[in-house]
Amino acid sequence: MATAVRPRPTSMMAATARIFDLSFSQMLWSRRSILLALLVAAPVALALGIRVVSLVAPPSVFRVNGGVIGGDTVFGLMVWLLYIRFVVPVLGVFYGTSLVADEVEDKTITYLFTRAIPRGAVLLGKYLAYLACTVLLILPSLVVVFFLLAPIGQGSIGGSFPQLLADLGILAAGLAAYGAVFALVGARFKRPLVAGLVFVFGWEPWVLFFPGYLKQLTVAHYLQALVPHAMPADSGLAGLLRAFRTVPPASWSLLALGLIVVGALWLAVRTVERREYVLEQ
Amino acid sequence: MSLVVARGLSKWYGQVIGLNDVSVSLGPGVTGLLGPNGAGKSTFMKLMTGQLAPSKGDIRVLGEPVWRNPSLYHRIGFCPEQDSFYERMTGAEWVEALVRLNGHSDDDARARTRRALAMVDLESVADRRIGGYSKGMRQRVKMAQALAHDPELIILDEPLSGMDPLVRRKTIRMVREWGREGRSVIVSSHVLHEIEAMTTNILLINQGRILAEGDVHHIRELIDDHPHKVHIRAEQPRALAREFLADDGVLSLALQDDALVVETAKPDAFYLRLTALAASGACGAVREVSSPDDNLQAVFRYLVK
Repeated sequence: MATAVRPRPTSMMAATARIFDLSFSQMLWSRRSILLALLVAAPVALALGIRVVSLVAPPSVFRVNGGVIGGDTVFGLMVWLLYIRFVVPVLGVFYGTSLVADEVEDKTITYLFTRAIPRGAVLLGKYLAYLACTVLLILPSLVVVFFLLAPIGQGSIGGSFPQLLADLGILAAGLAAYGAVFALVGARFKRPLVAGLVFVFGWEPWVLFFPGYLKQLTVAHYLQALVPHAMPADSGLAGLLRAFRTVPPASWSLLALGLIVVGALWLAVRTVERREYVLEQ
Repeated sequence: MSLVVARGLSKWYGQVIGLNDVSVSLGPGVTGLLGPNGAGKSTFMKLMTGQLAPSKGDIRVLGEPVWRNPSLYHRIGFCPEQDSFYERMTGAEWVEALVRLNGHSDDDARARTRRALAMVDLESVADRRIGGYSKGMRQRVKMAQALAHDPELIILDEPLSGMDPLVRRKTIRMVREWGREGRSVIVSSHVLHEIEAMTTNILLINQGRILAEGDVHHIRELIDDHPHKVHIRAEQPRALAREFLADDGVLSLALQDDALVVETAKPDAFYLRLTALAASGACGAVREVSSPDDNLQAVFRYLVK
């Protein structure tokens, strides 16, 4: 089987594409994906319940602070509270932290790191596979929720459809940003899942309640500015939060999310290139 | 020409020393790396394949530094010790994906994969999921991924571990043939008889240090003084035990669930007989043969005294 011709070294881009090929179906049909598919099915079940209630109860049953709300508002609330503040970070933390950590834990990283490809391509290819995989998981769920909720009350599917497209884009941006941040956490820390969960359920909710600049160190802050739905918030607490909240303009938020993605991935690639991964015997 | 040159090479993991001030030069042909578990064989191999960076000293492989030098890696084929795979992939899919990562086109990777799987006798199960492979098949598919891109240097970490006697014999023969064909192979084991069957050129390693290098024969004499323990997983361990009961080299026999543990003073004769029995099927299938490293530990304890 001797052959004199040697292949040319694989470029970062080609190697990334090949790692993506190798990882995508592995990731999509993993046990983790099945569990997280159940997570994204929860909003669908909730929306189905709401729709059933709307069919048997008067339209005025959906009220927030005394005002009747339509299906599009219920949808907006679900996008913000369930998807952006919960499902997207959870998908990001569970997949993102595992991009390198799973390969190390399963001891399959050896096969990838002894190939003629830059190590960073392993991380980038797996990150892209994560993005494709999570988008495939979350977007159908959001579309179904939309079609269940939009017609409630005075809402119309046609009128709210552009909103759906915008929400799909926001979720994809959220997945990209959280995924990049947690890919970095996964590349750098020994127990990345714990660090990731602390970030999502400790740091982010906590600093969002406080005035000042700390909230700029969260992903949720920038995603929040992209959510265009009018949030019903007439309570005293909501008023207080509004007073403290400094929501950046959408363009600035997009730029910030882009910087988070690029910056976190660059640092993650740099970490993977330089770090030794010692497999436990 | 030296394929691997280490100078003052040390590797430590925190407080634990993996390799300690090793200076060695390995030439072409088959070289056996022999030492008990934890001796530093795997650390040395990981340094040779660029998975770890030296803590001190340096290592060059095929004339180039190896850490963070992926352009060199297509010249090296590495079969790791660990039994880890993407279990849901078929053998062919897995090997092909790894060959493609080395820069080969899809068609070329496919052809190389088929050839490599044929070399390790896995053609017939190439399209079966790795999760359904036996231990021996898993070892062989690991070897196939190390060979498929036709590397100049093949590094095999405990390749015979868990193989049944027939596949073990075939693999040993294959490594010897590679050596005769002019390929360079570095193979590690904690079983002298395995290494001896593949090459006479060995490197003795213990506690992170190279104790000796060169011809295997003087080590051989030492090891013959020590009883050798063999663990055999078989379909009919009792029948196997009956066969070995009358063998004058056998010092003790013990049955453990589906396995037979034999202590022998004449390992060569024992392995020959075991292989013949496995081939004849007289005692049912012999699934796995392994040798605990306390055989070698005893020799090393004696050597370092």
